[in-house]
Amino acid sequence: MSSISASIPVDAFEKRANELPHTGTSSLSPEEQVARAKEVILSNLDSRTAMELETCIHCGMCSEACHFYEATHEAKYTPIHKVHLVRSVYRRELSPLRWFNRLFTREITAQDLSDWQELLFNSCTECGRCDLMCPMGIQITSGIRIGRQALAAADLMPPELRALNDEQTRSNTLLGVGIDELQDAVSELATQGIVVPLDRPQADVLLLTTVSDLLLYRQSFAAIARILDKLDLSWTIRSDAFEASNFGVLSGSEDGQMLAAKRVTDAARACGAKLVIVPECGHAYPALRFDAPEQLNTPLPFEVMAISEFIGREIKAGRLKVKKIAGGKQVTYHDPCKLGRHGGVFEEPRDALAALGVELHEMESHGKTQYCCGGGGGVLMLSGSEELRRRTFDIKMRQVEGTHADSVVTSCDTCRMTFERGAKQVNWSLPVESLAELVAANLAD
Amino acid sequence: MNTATFLDLVRGPLFYWALMIMIAGILWRLSGLIYFRIKSRAAKPKCDDPVVAGLRTVALRSVPPHELVKNITFLLLTCYAWHIGWFATFLFFGAHLPLFKSVLGFVWPALPNSVVLVLAAMTLGILITLWIRRFYNPVLRLISNFDDHLSVFLVIAPLITGIAAFGHWSPFGMRYEGILAVHILSVELLMIWMPFGKIFHVVTSLIVRFRTGAAFSRRGVRA
Amino acid sequence: MDAPLVADYLRMRGVSRRGFLKFCASTASLMALPPMMIPQIARALETARRPSVIWLPFQECTGCTESITRAHGSTIEQLIFEAISLDYQHTLMAAAGEQSDDALHEAMKLNHGKYLLAVDGSIPLGNPGYSTISGISNIDMLQEAAAGAMAIVAIGSCAAFGGIPKANPNPTGAVSVADIIKDKPIVNISGCPPIPIVITGVLAQILTFGLAGLELDHLGRPKVFYGQSIHDRCYRRPFYERGQFAESFDDEGAKKGWCLYKLGCKGPTTYNACATVKWNNGTSFPIEAGHGCIGCAEPDFWDKGGFYNALSATEWGTPADVAIAGGAGIALGAVAGALARKHQNDAKATPETKP
Repeated sequence: MSSISASIPVDAFEKRANELPHTGTSSLSPEEQVARAKEVILSNLDSRTAMELETCIHCGMCSEACHFYEATHEAKYTPIHKVHLVRSVYRRELSPLRWFNRLFTREITAQDLSDWQELLFNSCTECGRCDLMCPMGIQITSGIRIGRQALAAADLMPPELRALNDEQTRSNTLLGVGIDELQDAVSELATQGIVVPLDRPQADVLLLTTVSDLLLYRQSFAAIARILDKLDLSWTIRSDAFEASNFGVLSGSEDGQMLAAKRVTDAARACGAKLVIVPECGHAYPALRFDAPEQLNTPLPFEVMAISEFIGREIKAGRLKVKKIAGGKQVTYHDPCKLGRHGGVFEEPRDALAALGVELHEMESHGKTQYCCGGGGGVLMLSGSEELRRRTFDIKMRQVEGTHADSVVTSCDTCRMTFERGAKQVNWSLPVESLAELVAANLAD
Repeated sequence: MNTATFLDLVRGPLFYWALMIMIAGILWRLSGLIYFRIKSRAAKPKCDDPVVAGLRTVALRSVPPHELVKNITFLLLTCYAWHIGWFATFLFFGAHLPLFKSVLGFVWPALPNSVVLVLAAMTLGILITLWIRRFYNPVLRLISNFDDHLSVFLVIAPLITGIAAFGHWSPFGMRYEGILAVHILSVELLMIWMPFGKIFHVVTSLIVRFRTGAAFSRRGVRA
Repeated sequence: MDAPLVADYLRMRGVSRRGFLKFCASTASLMALPPMMIPQIARALETARRPSVIWLPFQECTGCTESITRAHGSTIEQLIFEAISLDYQHTLMAAAGEQSDDALHEAMKLNHGKYLLAVDGSIPLGNPGYSTISGISNIDMLQEAAAGAMAIVAIGSCAAFGGIPKANPNPTGAVSVADIIKDKPIVNISGCPPIPIVITGVLAQILTFGLAGLELDHLGRPKVFYGQSIHDRCYRRPFYERGQFAESFDDEGAKKGWCLYKLGCKGPTTYNACATVKWNNGTSFPIEAGHGCIGCAEPDFWDKGGFYNALSATEWGTPADVAIAGGAGIALGAVAGALARKHQNDAKATPETKP
């Protein structure tokens, strides 16, 4: 359990993240930027998104669902406005009425692309709350994803994300975390009595981990290893494909996305895994579970589960037994957007908490309507979003405080980091806990 | 041209063309949308029945969770109120029924005029208020365009002209045939614009809700 | 020889002074003139000469003549009408053949510039042979008679607007008086036929005051009788307001006397005095008898989309037309969609689009 105090040692993750470039410009000419952005938008629009883009009635209700708008009341953060670029290209070039639309919709320019970088990356976590709100049923996040991909093609992704995607693509590391760091973590766990089966040629379960686990939350890694051991599963972690994070998804780079996903799926096939477990990471789950088969256009020959989902399933099935925590612990659970709204993982973490005997106090907006922590979608990494994150965190803080719980439990490193950073900024002392660590600390003998 | 021949024009060839343009336009826009590629469904879905989920969303998206809409309850209620009022006036006002009978071949019972007049007046008041809001609310000011303003104008015009015709008002000294003709003309303009602007959402919104409900259900979420 | 004064004529027929003044009062009230004008009416009638009236019948059914001879109201009014010198009228005059032709020409010559020309029936322009009198075409006769007239009264919808002969496809090329005569004042008394007392009332007004006080609407009809719509004076209006309509001619609503809007009543767009003055000595009018107004006092009333189609029903084409429009829409959409798909595929095929 990590609790926040006034002074926190600068962890390795934070230190390395601070070394990322914070400024940068596109290497392409303005004409090329527009051409590439348009190519991506045209290529990636599908039937559902096209019909949705036809159906927006400009009611503005989506703004009321967005934590960025709610925190700042800046009209530009209206979700459908963030998608304006994509919509303009669609209306002018693909809509059945495009010849008519051209009278009212102007061409996008390189300046538009540059202006929209803030709207698509810095002030959107792809949390999907707006998708639930829209009375027309428009999934604005689909448009956001295409918009990010378009800007990435125009070499206009935020510099931090460009650097991380380049690194992951080029050298299969993130923030310099590679095989060495993995082996270091494995050794450390060994001193705690946990044996991590590294690079087994055959295993039923392939576990992934993340740069944030290896640099910052090693106890989460340890907890998952302990749980898998307790279940007596045949599992492994592969040094050539251990990273669950997919910075292709976060930066909008489709090639980066495919490469990162393929590394994992190839490794899973190679060791014959029937199940791939994504650790406490948000975006990695839908990236592998849903986006990868869609992008590769082939079903996966193995199951993909998030660790919180897996834990809940095993507890409910009676295979994983936990002790009840004494002392009447009062918690609230923060549903990471990518696990919850984008992944359907709501019940399983709650089954686990129920088995642990803690008293769960739900936030006013919980489950599918819960508020984003404000750090997802790569926003945590962006220096340009620091002020915005601080303001949106206020909303989350009030939601948590409304429950009168003693701590917040969650199951995503980015959410955890966002909470900790936000708490530090405002001197808030509520502890943030990892679900995996909580379960692993209370396994029944 | 005097008002009597203007009335003949709007009751005759103008209605014919408005109806044809509306039908052609709707089918054009709708059939064009069918041609888009459907995204790969290679991911194993998390649910059994996306169709049921889709239908759920079609119905329940009209009633979002309270915590999501607590700031805009007023807006939701007024939007429902004017949609219901507008369609009640259009479909259930006694004098309109012969129009439906002539086009569709069948009709249904009418609502009493007193009820319809109250609904029409309420709808008009709400629409005018919401239109004004579109000018001063910062979010709406940013995202609104010509289509939004033209569409709300064309939705308001039949209401105002209809109330004027029913009440036998004489704006600009118009005789009854004149105001009746203007009312019918306003409906025809609405019919012509309908496939080309945002009013087209009457055709696609249920389809979009359905698909979104199905898509969310494949991810295990009830949306 | 000067025509006798109207007053003398009345005295000759045994009308007392009291009776005469009573008539003037009822005329004033019928014409919605203020009571203070009664002495003026009396003086005008007393000093008026029996004016010459020439009545030319063209493409007509004689209905207007039938109507005027049913004029109710005091017998005195009929006497007044008889007091005009009706020098030419096919149905009513005794003369026939060449003698009637002579009567016409003599009256025109004698009263040149002072006679009132009454016309009923439309004038065919398609072929003059469609309607002739003594071998003379209607248009020639009209133009010759109009030249010496002080004013023209177009009696009935045929003379006023073209009427039934003008109905689609108008095989005779029928037109109204006003379509031909442009240089004389024309008063249209429309209706098919016009209400008897409306005809006589307008004539009485012209006899009394000339054309001066006669306010005409945009179709040349006297506003005093044609200024309000049937709908505005209809006794069934409360049912319209409440939305109680008869759905068929023998349903409960019809039996209860509900509004006939849905059965095609054109009352709202028809201007005439039927709802107040009524027909057959004020007995009834079509709506009161249970049939919707057919709008016979309006131009082109035959071609307004059917007597039994409500005003709000429209001409919308046929299901075949709708199918064609729909087919055209689908075709255009399919082409638009196919081209869009190609545009997308071309964009996808472009190399080096993604970093």
